[in-house]
Amino acid sequence: MPQRRRLDTTAEWVELTTTAADWRKADPALLATMLGQLHLIRAFEERVLDLAAEGLVHGPAHSSIGQEGGAVGSIVSLRSSDAVNGSHRGHHQFLAKALAHVAQNGLQLDALVTADIQTVLQKTLAEILGLAQGYCRGRGGSMHLQWFEAGALGTNAIVGGGAPMATGNAWAQKQAGTTDLTINYFGDGAAQIGSVLESMNLAAAWKLPVCFFIENNLYAVSTRIEEAVADTRLSVRGQGFGIPSWRVDGMDPLAVHLAMEEAAAVMRSGGGPTIIEAEVYRFFHQNGPYPGSAFGYRTKEEEEEWKGRDPLDRVAREMIKRGLIDEAGVASVRAQSVAAMDAATAELLEADPDKQGRRRIRPELWPDPEFVNVGVRGDGSELEGMRVLEPSASDAARRPMKFVDAVAEVMGRRMAEDERIVVLGEDIHRLKGGTNGATKGLADAHPDRVLGTPISENAFMGLGGGLALDGRYRPVVEFMYPDFMWVAADQVFNQVGKARHMFGGDNPVPLVLRTKVAMGSGYGSQHLMDPAGVFATSPGWRIVAPSTAADYVGLMNAALALQDPVLVIEHVDLYAEKDEVIAGDLDYIIPPGTAAVRREGSEMTVISYLSMVKHCLEAIEQTGADAELIDLRWLDRASLDWATIEASVKKTNAVLIVEQGAQGTSYGGWLADEIQRRLFDWLDQPVQRVTGAESSPSISRILERAAIARTEEVVAGIETVRRNAGGAR
Amino acid sequence: MSTTIRMPEVLANVTEAAVQKWLVAPGDEVAVGQPFAEIETEKAVVEFAAETAGTVLELLVGEGDSIDVGAPIAIVGEAGEVALPADPAAAPAAEGSGGVAAAAPSDPESGAPVLEAAAPVADAAAAAQTSAGPVEATTGAGGASAPGEGSGRRFVSPLVRRLAREHGIDLSTVTGSGPDGRIVRRDIQALLDGSAPAATPAVAATPAPAADAPAAAAPARPAQPAPEGATVVPHSRMRATIARRLTESKSSVPHFYLTADCRVDALLEMRAQLNAGGQVKVSVNDLVVKAVAGAFVDVPEANRTWSDEGMVIHDSVDIGIAVSLDDGLVVPVVRGVEGLSVSALGGRIAELAGRGREGRLKLDELEGGSFTVSNLGMFGTQSFSAIINPPHAGILAVGAASARPVVVDGALEVGQVMTVTLSADHRAWDGALAARWLAAFVARIEHPLSILA
Ligand SMILES: Cc1ncc(C[n+]2csc(CCOP(=O)(O)OP(=O)(O)O)c2C)c(N)n1
Ligand SMILES: [Mg+2]
Repeated sequence: MPQRRRLDTTAEWVELTTTAADWRKADPALLATMLGQLHLIRAFEERVLDLAAEGLVHGPAHSSIGQEGGAVGSIVSLRSSDAVNGSHRGHHQFLAKALAHVAQNGLQLDALVTADIQTVLQKTLAEILGLAQGYCRGRGGSMHLQWFEAGALGTNAIVGGGAPMATGNAWAQKQAGTTDLTINYFGDGAAQIGSVLESMNLAAAWKLPVCFFIENNLYAVSTRIEEAVADTRLSVRGQGFGIPSWRVDGMDPLAVHLAMEEAAAVMRSGGGPTIIEAEVYRFFHQNGPYPGSAFGYRTKEEEEEWKGRDPLDRVAREMIKRGLIDEAGVASVRAQSVAAMDAATAELLEADPDKQGRRRIRPELWPDPEFVNVGVRGDGSELEGMRVLEPSASDAARRPMKFVDAVAEVMGRRMAEDERIVVLGEDIHRLKGGTNGATKGLADAHPDRVLGTPISENAFMGLGGGLALDGRYRPVVEFMYPDFMWVAADQVFNQVGKARHMFGGDNPVPLVLRTKVAMGSGYGSQHLMDPAGVFATSPGWRIVAPSTAADYVGLMNAALALQDPVLVIEHVDLYAEKDEVIAGDLDYIIPPGTAAVRREGSEMTVISYLSMVKHCLEAIEQTGADAELIDLRWLDRASLDWATIEASVKKTNAVLIVEQGAQGTSYGGWLADEIQRRLFDWLDQPVQRVTGAESSPSISRILERAAIARTEEVVAGIETVRRNAGGAR
Repeated sequence: MSTTIRMPEVLANVTEAAVQKWLVAPGDEVAVGQPFAEIETEKAVVEFAAETAGTVLELLVGEGDSIDVGAPIAIVGEAGEVALPADPAAAPAAEGSGGVAAAAPSDPESGAPVLEAAAPVADAAAAAQTSAGPVEATTGAGGASAPGEGSGRRFVSPLVRRLAREHGIDLSTVTGSGPDGRIVRRDIQALLDGSAPAATPAVAATPAPAADAPAAAAPARPAQPAPEGATVVPHSRMRATIARRLTESKSSVPHFYLTADCRVDALLEMRAQLNAGGQVKVSVNDLVVKAVAGAFVDVPEANRTWSDEGMVIHDSVDIGIAVSLDDGLVVPVVRGVEGLSVSALGGRIAELAGRGREGRLKLDELEGGSFTVSNLGMFGTQSFSAIINPPHAGILAVGAASARPVVVDGALEVGQVMTVTLSADHRAWDGALAARWLAAFVARIEHPLSILA
């Protein structure tokens, strides 16, 4: 019979409850501030629901009424440099953080609403109504509230989507040598999503000062927690990740506060992440002004029972007990809060002249429709003054170098020059520069800034996103293969790509994502895509795809200097090439909007990028076509060199777009569309394209070859263009 | 039983025409062959003879109204018969003509061409289908044959569309060499290269007033306000046709050129003798035309013209004579020139030219032929090259005879010399054939009795 020994994790997991003694001991100023915040938030949330009922809130209004205790208790004594982020139900956390920021010495209950507080209330309400004076200029609304100075990193409409970015913020706080911390709020529903679990692991592995704060309100929309998990005590997750965890009554703000004090002590002292699970209850349905019982998934009795535990009443009661306030004083706090909301509302609404007795948003407060695309990305002005060099036009001396070594060398050069650069990805710190040698030497030179990650693309991509939003560091994330972007898609596209625009357009997201196209390497259907097409059709991203080592240097330097997320696409075929760089110069940039004409010609315009540039040159030679070959280098909508493309198409009247990968996700589709609309009257034939097959490349060598494009397919493309040029009758 | 008379396709590629003058009136009895109407086309006014005998029941179009070729113009029946309304949908509009594209009606909702315009509308199901799904109908109907040809829809690349607009190129005559007959840049490149529109007067090849030049050049410019002091005169049909046909010729027919100097002392001497005696005056041009016919007799294999289907071998020598008008030109064809005497030929040319100037040539007098003669000698032009008048295989551009130094047996003397330039269609003639033909022509001219023989 085998021996069996019970194992335990070493992670603490406790339930924390307050005693009468805790309440007696509590700092009166702390209690007053908590009571003031609770009432301000409650009055705010009630006003939002009133306006929603009047039809003045566009989109869902997820109220936090009933749950204020968790946010207030956990945030009340945070620093402004501590940070929070949250999800769709985030008004209360945002307001608590903003109030703590503008009233750093606490709230005065007899003069509750200072000018700063009034401003916070009005700007937050304006944002939720979608008005230009809001924190995010009305772009974010209820679910995307961001105020960096106050440490409000931005709430998220992807449940759990904020967790990876919170870990990134925490990484920056730690790396910068501060004792600051970050709290990521999410619900019981979101606690089941991969982003959260990956982030917990990453934060634990790297001991990051981040608190995963679970507002367990028992429901995810109408799904009850018992339906979603086996162990409904969600703080149990800490046991799996080695994270100390607290379970606490969220209707008791003091209990939450005390739990956070303990957790903060762990985080600020380098003990790594924490989990706090607060049992709370939303008095209303998922959104809008009706109770959940109205939708039949819970009972009125349950709701009444929880309402009896209202955190506002609890704090008031305990304060009255201690003689810190009386009923009238509480009524005054309530009255001041409501009056503040009346004042804020009056600034934003007016009587509707068309509808008797109704209100409307003051028309002049809406954002200008022209603002719709502003800030999808930066304007690139950060590159001004940087030294531009065009390698193909430079007669400077060359140094022979393999392409892949240029990848590592330029990064090494930048890391030596710029302390902010952090490189992260799977195995990049080992194997002499990762699986391909592209990070060779970096880990030896900068061990604290070259991070080999756990296999959790969503988490470490989001960690990079958090770093980028924070701004103190410049993340360079590597995806070992492009197809892995799909498991990180939320962070890549919903978060990093959209963050700048979604939060108002001002806060930049400087991040470089490196990956390599590996078609031809036999890795099969799930490793061999070309990501250019997917990124080109997603907002926010810039894309470079260098075809030579010297171009790589200039394009990577520009990517690292830009205040935008930039995808840098590499190719395994190029890695091994005996290429060359400019001797003694790894510091120039090749700015957006500069394609390179690799060959001039008049018969057709061939447009390509990355390794296919070489295949195009071969095909042009084989066919004897007088083709003009444009190496795009910058691929995204904003950075594309339209001037060069236009001049060429006006000359040749025929276009062949060449890429290697599968049809479906191909890059050329959108470009062909753009070309035919911009240059319709200059085209003598349809925009022709060379792509791979419909399928993803298989592992079988023959099938892989059949699925991708190389020189032979470009030759066929050139012949197609020629056939379409007519004259052969 | 009444018969619907339709607007005849008086010339190939002419898609509309007008009745310039009715030569019959309702109630008139007409016999087959009797002049019925004068039909005005872009190119000429031709007399249209009745093809059916009977009583004219109704004239359906007014004088001067332009209508599509194939549309009903009159109804002829038995005396006393009542005219039934003509059914335009039943028109055999497309009969034998590739040029009905412009006439195809369009679907009222989509504006898409209705492809089966010639099908009886009575086929309600088909009609409903066409209007319900114009796109699918288009694809389906076009699928069987090359869409550019059979469907009535001409495919043109966007670039060519724009260039045609800017340069005033009429694409209806251009043959597309791209996929499905799409007209692509190559197909109009020659036009764009500039020779065609600007060269029209020279091509016209018959004495054309100098004032023609700007008008002919006009199509090559995008629509622009006239410069100050100038006025823009809308093109006559004939002017537009000249522009179109010669543009087409210069851009789609591969021309090559051969030049020869002919000693014409003997020819001029013989002409003087002929004219001294006879009633009828013989012109140098008559002799040139006759010598051309003689060259075809000498080199019969040259009497052929290109067509897409195959080489057309001609069994008689039919020669077009370029005749200048006040503002334009016509090219009536004299048939069987090899069998005509010089005086008969001269009379025939004079007669055709006269009627040509009056716009009264018949359709069959404007069609056919294998070769054109264009003579600018009477204007003192020494030499020029002309644009081929399709479907002819060549055109001989004849300059003025003048006294020039010539070398005879190593000694310099003065002789009467006439320079001729042959433009040949390389699709029909190769260089050696052209050279043999030209040598035969020169031999005839320089031994003028052989012209008369
Ligand atoms: C990734 C993702 N899936 C689903 C949704 C839709 N959604 C929004 S809120 C919500 C319920 C979230 O429940 P919970 O995390 O418990 O938060 P609570 O609403 O209770 O505060 C769902 C399913 C979403 N926003 N994001
Ligand atoms: Mg929940």
